[in-house]
Amino acid sequence: MASRSMFLRILWKLLGASRGRLAVALIALTSGAAVCSALLNVNLDAERKLTQEFRTLGANVVIAPPAGGSEAALADTGVLDRIAALRLPQIIATAPYLYVAANSGSQPVILAGTWFDQVAKMNSWWKLEGGWVSSRDDHEHCLVGFNAARQLGLAPGSSVVLRSGDRNISLTVAGIVTTGGAEDNQILTNLDSAQNLAGLSGRVSLVQLSVSGTPSEIEGVTRRLTDNLPGLEVRPVRQIAAAEGKILGRIRGLIFWTIALILVLSMFGVLASMAALAMERRRDVGLMKALGGTVPRIMRLFLAEAGTLGAVGGLLGFLLGVVLARWMGERIFGVVISARFEVLPITIALTVAVALAGAFPLRLLGQVRPAEILRGE
Amino acid sequence: MVPLVQVEKLEKRFGEVCALDRVTFEVEAGEWIAIMGPSGSGKTTLINILGGLDHPSAGRVVVDGLEIGNLGERELTRYRADKIGFVFQQFHLVPYLTALENVMLAQYFHSITDEKEAAQALGRVGLSDRLTHVPAELSGGEQQRVAIARALINQPKVILADEPTGNLDEANEAVVLKLLRELHDAGHTILVVTHSQAIGNLADRRVELEHGRLARITVPSMAKE
Repeated sequence: MASRSMFLRILWKLLGASRGRLAVALIALTSGAAVCSALLNVNLDAERKLTQEFRTLGANVVIAPPAGGSEAALADTGVLDRIAALRLPQIIATAPYLYVAANSGSQPVILAGTWFDQVAKMNSWWKLEGGWVSSRDDHEHCLVGFNAARQLGLAPGSSVVLRSGDRNISLTVAGIVTTGGAEDNQILTNLDSAQNLAGLSGRVSLVQLSVSGTPSEIEGVTRRLTDNLPGLEVRPVRQIAAAEGKILGRIRGLIFWTIALILVLSMFGVLASMAALAMERRRDVGLMKALGGTVPRIMRLFLAEAGTLGAVGGLLGFLLGVVLARWMGERIFGVVISARFEVLPITIALTVAVALAGAFPLRLLGQVRPAEILRGE
Repeated sequence: MVPLVQVEKLEKRFGEVCALDRVTFEVEAGEWIAIMGPSGSGKTTLINILGGLDHPSAGRVVVDGLEIGNLGERELTRYRADKIGFVFQQFHLVPYLTALENVMLAQYFHSITDEKEAAQALGRVGLSDRLTHVPAELSGGEQQRVAIARALINQPKVILADEPTGNLDEANEAVVLKLLRELHDAGHTILVVTHSQAIGNLADRRVELEHGRLARITVPSMAKE
């Protein structure tokens, strides 16, 4: 106990004795830790926020009857209730689609019935000219794909009559959408209207889902859906999942290598200070050895000093890093990054490791020969 | 009775230079020995070997029954902590530790620290009112007294002092010599490297070196007679 209190007493005096040099090392450690903490915060928080952003870029899971059947290639709308009953928080939007082959005058056109509120959630990037159809009860309006509108000579406010078999409906064009996808050639209306036109009440062609999370989380959701929706195929849209994974992977890689580089640079900063400190401490170490201090016991003091410096630098760096992450989040990613306290122990552990590695010159003091030092060599 | 220190045909070479050449002498427990000789005669080399700070090239050195020439670094460190008390010409105190902590440092490396005992040791050398002063706040004489308190704190078998008054003025020299005399009277074994005839005359015997060789061993009281 007495030895431990003496250890702490010497450690305290050591920290106070070379304030200048230790302050330089502390600045190097704190700045390194601040950048690391900021990047780790950004990594954790931005990843979550970016995956949410990705979810506005279209569906990434599609549920449909198995390919091959003809009549059977339609699902019951009960599937929507079963999906909702699973209460999966990762599902951001659920948009059913029923595709109906219709005619506008003599021109054939595909009518897609859907839920516009859900479509809007997962396709915020669609370009719209005119207005949107906001309610599921709106049976009078439709959206027309850019190519279809050109082909049929439609504009916002125009009327269009669609016929399928012996049924027909009359719709007013609310807006023209440009999606870059199949929707550009379709007319989109409310699901009920399309079902009525086709005489397929309670049927859908497929369901598009927007599922948030990492690729493995999306995989998990897909598995649960498959287990709970027998007779239907649940297919993740691989290109989107892969692209999202690639972007996240690149961001993660960039952050990892930046952190590694920053830590190495911090270590060099500490190394420079510690090399100068080691020269100052040669006499003390020689004396300690002469007094019977073993090398491990003396080195414990210096490594504890470096470790303390690393822990303080890590803590200060974490706090600065939170501020930096907030700034980076707003400026670079346009999102508010909140402090993630799981980053604190990681930052401190990394900074302590860097401080101990940077204290390498102090470890060389173990080789000091007391006789030479005490002679004044 | 077995001598406390036995030095037999001790040699120390630094490359081509022979710092000690077949030096032989013995020291009884409780003796005060002055090691004298001109600069470069091997005095400090001899005391460094006796203190376990350096290895002999040849010969035998036995202190308190322990042949130190055969010891490894770890055993030598333990030997220094257990059996030797050092007093240096340059005092060699740790500048950022107080007088009390400098004494406790020797306790720390020896076994466990005892602040009360360390304060008493400083009291014995007349520094009760300087416990919390760092070396820069102490005079040369006071610093040397702290070093003496530190040398004594672990009850060493031998006190090795290398020019202990070399950096002191006359008044402080007198204080340090009085302390050494008191230690001798209390039964401590002291080996002092010195150029000073006055200190040499206080010793029980003088071991005189010349060019690394033992020139003579004299007894000052007989020399005076």
